[in-house]
Amino acid sequence: MNNNCYTYSIGCLIMALFLSFSCKHKESKYHSLTDKIEEESKDFIGTDISLETLLEEMKLLEIHEEGHAFLIPERKGQLKSYACSECHTKPLASMTSLEIGKKAHWNVKLAHADNLTMNCITCHSESNLDELTSLTGSEIDFDASYKLCSQCHTAQFKDWTGGAHGKKIAGWAPPRASMTCVNCHNPHSPSFDTRWPSRFNTQMEKERKEGLSH
Amino acid sequence: MRRLKVFKSLLIDSLDVITHGSRKYHLWMGFLTFVMLVGMYCYSIQLDQGLSVTGMTDRVSWGLYISNFTFLVGVAAAAVMLVMPTYVLKDIDFKQAVLIGEGLAVAALIMCLAFVVADMGGPSVLWHMIPGIGVFNFPNSMLTWDVIVLNGYLFLNISIPYYILFRHYQGKDANPKIYVPGALISVFWAVSIHLVTAFLYQGLQARPFWNNALLGPRFLASAFAAGPALIILVLAIIRNYTAFKVENKTIGKLAMIVTVAAQINLIMLVSELFKEFYAPTHHSESAYYLFFGLHGKNALLPWIWTSIPLNVLATVLLTFGKFRNNFKVLYFCCFILFVAIWIEKGFGLIVPGFIPGPYGKIAEYTPTGVEIGVTMGIWALGAFVFTILAKTAIKIETGKLRYKKKDSQ
Amino acid sequence: MSENNTKWFSLNLSNSKPKQQASTCGCGNTSGGCGGHQNEIRSSAIGDERHKDGFEQVFDVQMDRRTAFKKLTASLLIGAGAVTTSCSVVADEKSKEKAQIDWEEQFKGNYKLMSDEEKKATVDRLVRSYELRTNKTISMTSENAQENVLFGYAFNISKCQGYMDCVSACVEENNQDRNSEMQYIRIHEMKDGQGLKFDEADDNYYHEVPAEGHFYLGTQCFHCDNPPCVDVCPVQATWREEDGLVVIDYDWCVGCRYCMAACPYDGRRFNWSKPEVPEDEVNKNQHYLGNRMRKKGVMEKCTFCVQRSRKGQNPACVDACPTGARIFGNLLDPNSTIRWVLENKKVFRLKEDLGTEPKFWYFMD
Repeated sequence: MNNNCYTYSIGCLIMALFLSFSCKHKESKYHSLTDKIEEESKDFIGTDISLETLLEEMKLLEIHEEGHAFLIPERKGQLKSYACSECHTKPLASMTSLEIGKKAHWNVKLAHADNLTMNCITCHSESNLDELTSLTGSEIDFDASYKLCSQCHTAQFKDWTGGAHGKKIAGWAPPRASMTCVNCHNPHSPSFDTRWPSRFNTQMEKERKEGLSH
Repeated sequence: MRRLKVFKSLLIDSLDVITHGSRKYHLWMGFLTFVMLVGMYCYSIQLDQGLSVTGMTDRVSWGLYISNFTFLVGVAAAAVMLVMPTYVLKDIDFKQAVLIGEGLAVAALIMCLAFVVADMGGPSVLWHMIPGIGVFNFPNSMLTWDVIVLNGYLFLNISIPYYILFRHYQGKDANPKIYVPGALISVFWAVSIHLVTAFLYQGLQARPFWNNALLGPRFLASAFAAGPALIILVLAIIRNYTAFKVENKTIGKLAMIVTVAAQINLIMLVSELFKEFYAPTHHSESAYYLFFGLHGKNALLPWIWTSIPLNVLATVLLTFGKFRNNFKVLYFCCFILFVAIWIEKGFGLIVPGFIPGPYGKIAEYTPTGVEIGVTMGIWALGAFVFTILAKTAIKIETGKLRYKKKDSQ
Repeated sequence: MSENNTKWFSLNLSNSKPKQQASTCGCGNTSGGCGGHQNEIRSSAIGDERHKDGFEQVFDVQMDRRTAFKKLTASLLIGAGAVTTSCSVVADEKSKEKAQIDWEEQFKGNYKLMSDEEKKATVDRLVRSYELRTNKTISMTSENAQENVLFGYAFNISKCQGYMDCVSACVEENNQDRNSEMQYIRIHEMKDGQGLKFDEADDNYYHEVPAEGHFYLGTQCFHCDNPPCVDVCPVQATWREEDGLVVIDYDWCVGCRYCMAACPYDGRRFNWSKPEVPEDEVNKNQHYLGNRMRKKGVMEKCTFCVQRSRKGQNPACVDACPTGARIFGNLLDPNSTIRWVLENKKVFRLKEDLGTEPKFWYFMD
């Protein structure tokens, strides 16, 4: 009698264990991760994390584009010899005729689109070198140089304002501060160069080649 | 109080038994001790320098240890093949052999646990796994299930034979009402230890080679072939070297079990091969690696192509009664079947699970000397434990070891 | 460190000693500069020096094989090391403190289950222990997950050029073992026009990049929302935090590597040997769950740089990427850039059919 009880209770125990195991896949409230994200962010009230102290020391400008408001670094202060008018006292045309010695911007080689499409004055204002110029001849501030790029690179511009293109400064937390076009791309030669990778894993190579790594 | 006294006397007597024996016995034990010491030395190197002394890498992160663990769980589970007919079906034939089978299970389980510990990166914090003191991630982790079933099975397989031997030692009969329920549980338990061990691998969606429903049943089939095959070999040795009587009928019945299990195992193998190679997907790459090699990497080919012919040969030979009843052929078949399944269930199962890796990268695995040393040490430990258990059990069962026998002389 | 609510067993080796006091060596010099001890202290990662006390002495010390073998039997006795220490005549106050810390560290509880005070206590012990061993101060935090934060990551396949700057930055930020060249990130170089053929991709290339006719795709731990690695851990040493990070308590991990087998994304790494980082390269800005020094025989993996992300910063890989291919942010913030990417780009994830719900999306321009 006692033994029967014993086996019975063990059997029950095993059953209970199996049952509890079968409940492992907790029925989640949401069908998928995206549903969950959407649902849980409905009444998003912000977080305690802020980048304000980190961004404090940087010179940033707030811009509003495509319905997004964010900060970008100020540009003029970063340029080595701004304002340009310190040298360029005369309009460009009168300076090109001088032909004396080495040219000031000898190191600038334009590798941006081709000659048919672009030359210096596509972007630089001929008359006022402290400003950039749009295709229609309106002046664009150096700090808002992205407006120049966005004339052609509309898709990239849209991605940039949304956040899919480009990098953010300091971190993910608000306020959003993004790098502007010229922080990564040299405007005169905007594409990235080929180069060697910064690392090569010799151990992994050995492991794959020999099968034995030790 | 009296029980304690008997227990003490049993301990002393068995100590006496295991330290005395023929020269062959001493040589055997000395050899095992030596291998164990080598194993311990290798393990000390591993403790000192970390698991980097093994052939395992981030790519193939389980190797020889877990392979042997998996295989030995099967051997342990096979003790049930003797327990079931003896205790449950009241078949007297096996009564003699069952203690041997359970001793084998105990030895196999101790080896299993030793292999798991050897595989751990942090043996000093293993207490984290003890329920109560540590955190036991039950029931989510299949590994915790495995810990429970293995230890439970170890307990069952120690306590049942211990009870029987303890009674016999005192010259009394064991009460079936006490040990039969335990035996009954151990029958279910044996199936569960192997199924749970299969689930350990089967439940990983990351490893398509393991993540198939046939893995569990195939584990059982191969275990019930390899386990009794080992028991047959052990019984053959015991029959030859001791006074312990094992009837031909017993071995014949065991051979029948081995045959049926090996046949089922072969059918499942065919089914598996068909699935992998008739309509191969990229989930079949592991199988390709195992059987044919992948991108010029073919370290497992010699192993698996040793295993498959041996497996087929043994199964075919065993299928014919004429061969099966010839003990020489039977022992040979059991031996090659054991080796075949050891390869197939160990190496052949664990390593291809990791090759190719999650992103198709291949880094092959070859065990190092240290790893092999530890493995041999643990096998020697198992053999050592089994020899001790078997020797004591045989002395008691043959009536040579009895409580207070010395006084009456 | 109050005695009554701790989850570890405390062995009080010297009752009178105030635990947090810096000057213990009797010469009055607070920065550990009293000659005699300095020889003992070698500049290397945690737990490398010859003179060690407590439990470590038995299990973790670098010793030659002969001694290792001798100590193997002794190692079975838990606390043997502590006994030697408490009986030792030469043990000075400092090594006693070390032993005390080692003991408490050895028997502390699972970080996941700790209260905030307990978390702080263990962090303090680790900082102090590092100071005692190397004479260098590190800063380690135990910041918890913030509310209303769920971290997500997006990777722009058309932007990545395969420079591997992210890999470098990750190794340096997270104090990964330099000997085995452990890397959390893999960049797969794939042939154009063949889809995502991982098996034919090369993740360890060394030639000028981007190579003609190839594109690059990075993988790392995807911090799945339904992580298979967490389920399988027998001791709950790895878990999903409230902000979605899948983290590991390195001190609780037993090193069974089951999680590694369960991860479909090759996201986890194991310390096969003792990880080593040259002292001057150690990133001292650490988090308990992040880049603090690991020991041998434990798992580790990408934590989205928990030591940075919980402060509002980007993970090191995001900051290091020169092409802006990596985007990181708060999935619960409807105005975050990561949300904009998910809503406006054609995004996909790897092996979505496994139901692991990675929080790591790929997209193209």
